[in-house]
Amino acid sequence: MASSITKKELEHLAKLARLNLSEREEKKLLEDLREILAYFEKLGELDTSEVAPMNGGTELQNIFREDEERKDTLRGQGRDNFPETKDGSLSVPEVFKRHD
Amino acid sequence: MIKLPDLTLSNWKENLTKKNFTALEAVQAYFEEIKNKDKNIGAYLSLHENEALKAAEETDLKIAKGEDIHPLAGAPLAIKDNLLVKDLPATASSKILEDYVASYDATVIKKLRAAGSVFLGKTNLDEFAMGSSTENSAFKLTRNPHDTKKVPGGTSGGSAAAIAANMALGALGTDTGGSIRQPASFCGVVGLKPTYGAVSRFGAIATASSLDQIGPLTKSVEDAALLFNTIRGQDGYDSTSTDPGYDENNLLNPKLENVKKLRVGLPKEYFEDKLDEDVTKAIEKAIEKIKSLGIKFKEVSLPHTKYALASYYIINFAEISSNLARLDGIRYSRRKDALKKAKNLEDFYREERGQGFGSESKRRIILGTYVLSSGYYDAYYAKAQKVRTLLKNDFTNAFKEVDVILTPTSPSTAFDIGSKTSDPLEMYLSDIFTVTANLAGVPAISIPAKSDTKMPVGVQLIGKHFREADILGLGHYYEQLEKKS
Repeated sequence: MASSITKKELEHLAKLARLNLSEREEKKLLEDLREILAYFEKLGELDTSEVAPMNGGTELQNIFREDEERKDTLRGQGRDNFPETKDGSLSVPEVFKRHD
Repeated sequence: MIKLPDLTLSNWKENLTKKNFTALEAVQAYFEEIKNKDKNIGAYLSLHENEALKAAEETDLKIAKGEDIHPLAGAPLAIKDNLLVKDLPATASSKILEDYVASYDATVIKKLRAAGSVFLGKTNLDEFAMGSSTENSAFKLTRNPHDTKKVPGGTSGGSAAAIAANMALGALGTDTGGSIRQPASFCGVVGLKPTYGAVSRFGAIATASSLDQIGPLTKSVEDAALLFNTIRGQDGYDSTSTDPGYDENNLLNPKLENVKKLRVGLPKEYFEDKLDEDVTKAIEKAIEKIKSLGIKFKEVSLPHTKYALASYYIINFAEISSNLARLDGIRYSRRKDALKKAKNLEDFYREERGQGFGSESKRRIILGTYVLSSGYYDAYYAKAQKVRTLLKNDFTNAFKEVDVILTPTSPSTAFDIGSKTSDPLEMYLSDIFTVTANLAGVPAISIPAKSDTKMPVGVQLIGKHFREADILGLGHYYEQLEKKS
């Protein structure tokens, strides 16, 4: 495990996670991340080659219900919380750059 | 004059039907208490007096008409602010949700509303339920009612403090790695984390979905059973919820003869760690008390315990980074101006998320992104999931020998405000005894033990999957012994 995370890696992670970080935040985060990731290294002591991962909190098996219309869905209620709508849809700033 | 310390959820209905007071009078008394005390405690983020008084009157009307009422009808409850109550704010103590108003009821709220319960207000927590002290709230500090220089624990610190200070009769919290049990322990109240899947998570703002459970914080074990029995059940809106066929009578009216047959295990790994002397003493006394019921104890081993925190936090970070991705500063926000000013969407996201999340949330989002990223996934996330299997197997094996496992809830009593905020790892390590129940999905309860000092100590009872009846039953009879002594 590589726990010596670099500033460049942190900046990449911040971009992936869509977070702006200040210089000061970056400095503190780098220290914390190195310490926390070093703590995680103890898992390396365990041989887990024969162990199946536990993927969730339950051992229920997935089942399918009949595909039928349901009247009690909550669809549409989330729109009450949109800051800006246009024709019933969420209105946001431009997603793609225009090439004229 | 209503004596709030004497009220419990269990004697609530009798008080109403015997006309000792009306639900309205009691709810008014709670608001009076909150107005007097909460400036110093800071348990509540928002109060909803008009709605609460109206709901209380509905119960009084039913009683006046001679209708039968649910045991929790009119009961004044505090709700953690990461649970949705329709038309009320639900901030999860985050600036990014500062303006959010819930557009529907969480399933647990729907059930309590059907019972006629009253929601006094929404309680403080660590932002998005990340922390162990409620100090990560973006809005306010909550203080421990037993000593206001100390933390109430976290993340359900507001709910625990509200119960401890008689500012609510019962409360709901959420528990991802101890967030109900540890604050219950620090504040001297009862807190139950149900079996994963016993209670629907629909309408709980997700922290780590494979670990989260909603549960009660109350003044007694009996009260916790009553509240748990009301909120549990399978729900079409949460595919992990299930009803294994609980026997209500076992949950609500445990029989001493059955409790005496329980075998209790003491996991040696939990007693090797550094424990506060106050905690050790209180737990030893609790064990002696339980032994006096004729219950047999046995040492058991949970050999992978020392890997639990690393496994827990990797899974927690990974699920958090994924769950919090939906908070884009648009969908649950009403910041019209910021949106209009933005040049493009990515910059807007980065700016809003950078401003809207507190430092612990950012730390966990970054770490979660790291452990899930290509190249590190196998070494961290996949490894942690495998270790989770080992930890779960530890419990499966121990539960072949015993029915209930007893541990301290926390290695220490409540710590000083500000003493751990600069060192996140130190804060994480305080969750050592609680995270395993979430990883394994088993139920666990924290019950106040008799302590020699001012600060409360909690004893934790961990049960088999869907065997809440065992830990509630044993907990109830232990609590009776403590009351007598």
